[in-house]
Amino acid sequence: MRPTQITGRLWVLREAAGRLYNDIDTDMIFHNRYLHITEVTQMGPYALDNLKGWEDFARRARPGDLIMAGSNFGAGSSRQQAVDCFHALGIAAIIAESFGAIYKRNAINSGLPLVTFPGLTEVASRFESGDIVTVDFCTGALIRNGVERFQAQPFSKVQLEIYQAGNLFEYGKVVTG
Amino acid sequence: MGQTFAEKVLAQKAGLERTVAGQIVTVKPDRLLTHDNTSAIAATFYKIGVKRVADPTLSVIVLDHVVPAANETYAISHQATRAFVAEQGITAFYDIGEGICHQVFPEKGHVWPGAVIVGSDSHTPTAGAFGAFAAGIGRTEAAAVMATGEIWLRVPASIRVIVQGTLPPRVSAKDVILQLIGQLRADGADYCSVEFVGEAITAMSVSERMTLTNMSAEMGAKNAVVEPDEKTLAWLAGRVSQPFTPVFADADAVYARVLELDASALAPQIARPHTVDNVAPVTDVVGTRIDQVVLGTCTNGRLEDLRAAAELLRGKHIAPGVRLLVLPASREVLQAALAEGVIADLIAAGATLLNPGCGPCLGAHQGCMAPGEATLSTSNRNFKGRMGSKDAAIYLGSPATAAASALAGVITDPREL
Repeated sequence: MRPTQITGRLWVLREAAGRLYNDIDTDMIFHNRYLHITEVTQMGPYALDNLKGWEDFARRARPGDLIMAGSNFGAGSSRQQAVDCFHALGIAAIIAESFGAIYKRNAINSGLPLVTFPGLTEVASRFESGDIVTVDFCTGALIRNGVERFQAQPFSKVQLEIYQAGNLFEYGKVVTG
Repeated sequence: MGQTFAEKVLAQKAGLERTVAGQIVTVKPDRLLTHDNTSAIAATFYKIGVKRVADPTLSVIVLDHVVPAANETYAISHQATRAFVAEQGITAFYDIGEGICHQVFPEKGHVWPGAVIVGSDSHTPTAGAFGAFAAGIGRTEAAAVMATGEIWLRVPASIRVIVQGTLPPRVSAKDVILQLIGQLRADGADYCSVEFVGEAITAMSVSERMTLTNMSAEMGAKNAVVEPDEKTLAWLAGRVSQPFTPVFADADAVYARVLELDASALAPQIARPHTVDNVAPVTDVVGTRIDQVVLGTCTNGRLEDLRAAAELLRGKHIAPGVRLLVLPASREVLQAALAEGVIADLIAAGATLLNPGCGPCLGAHQGCMAPGEATLSTSNRNFKGRMGSKDAAIYLGSPATAAASALAGVITDPREL
């Protein structure tokens, strides 16, 4: 069983103007010029390398880190690389106001935890890169630096089951026995 | 309480009396569409330890993204797909030259009213123009569908878009959907089912309806649907062999949102760099210099689109310094356009004809841009760096706007010609 509560160092994806980045599309996350790469372990260096101001993210991120972004994270194409590049870096979870529909399914099914946080934009100024954040997938409780509490959405039943199994394939083995 | 199209069609597929938005159901889709990413899906499929696909008749595979192969890497990927198709006994395989998957899919009879389609491409909702539930999924999931024949889906909430009135001359379905995306923004229909109704939709050809459902993905839609009518049935006749029952939303269905649009008042629209929802009337950007015009793709590469451009270009020549790339959406479209003389008109006007496929739309080959260049494209995405250099600009518009702009060398209002 994978843990349902995780703690990690936060990266807050902001634009130069300081606003939380909205509509980060799949070309900003994993640009189409790298689409020939299909081996997950090789995808890490290209994560976010087409997102203005975050081109060097892959070099700065460490396994276990968390990412925070605005609305519609992962808009655009169905490319799995846009999810898998974060697996390659060992990103523990992505927290956002909302996610692109296909991106959300891709992530859930591959076992990458996505935490939907309605209202995040209004409280985004309270978070800084480097904060230590704990998030509970079962309750949606989110704690900043051990003191400040926020409420995100808990995982849906199927999302939690797939996450705990590891991914959709392992989940399928559990279900079909 | 009535049901929306999505609630009803997914209830039927799941063997339930009814479903409500938000409910999670498991269904056996009627078709699974995959393209050049089949080789990667096959690799995942083998990794699970499964030897045979659950149902070889479920898969429809079209090589379209980088065709013919631009280099050895792509060639190896195509080779792996062909080997997988042969090994698994998949019959619905369309090799390079047939066209773009979203066009070939209905042409070859793989969609019908009431069908449930999933595809490993974000523009899979295109098939909703035929009254089907059609949704994009990822590669991991596509491998799981191949292995099990099943998929879990959250029943989407629905948005009803009513388009009344008559479109003015040289204003088209592309302008309707661009205007709508500008209004709803890139996440305005996130994980929603969009139902298009109204007299302007009824008046549209099947091709124009496909433009609407295709681009609904750009506002986050899970699926988009147009109610089937005589036009739909006439288009599908001779293509679909199996019996089907169309599914319609109930009159008292509950919608998350209802929007009304007046087609009569609409001007040609342009999506400006670098997001699809950065939409303005063409009059706001008239005079913007362009280096390249792309006419085609799964959004606007059908016979009606090529005709609309040829009408403006016939007997004239594109501006010096402008490159006009034409990509018919499929072999069938190319043959029809050849027979009508549309292709001859376009080539005489200075167009460069490319083979049916995705071409430069995703920036892999056939028309990438250098830094500082600008393209006006009839495609569906203008993300930064999508067609080559990160320092190039992509404007999205209709075939008529594309043709008028190719003639002038700057973005031009097609109503002024």
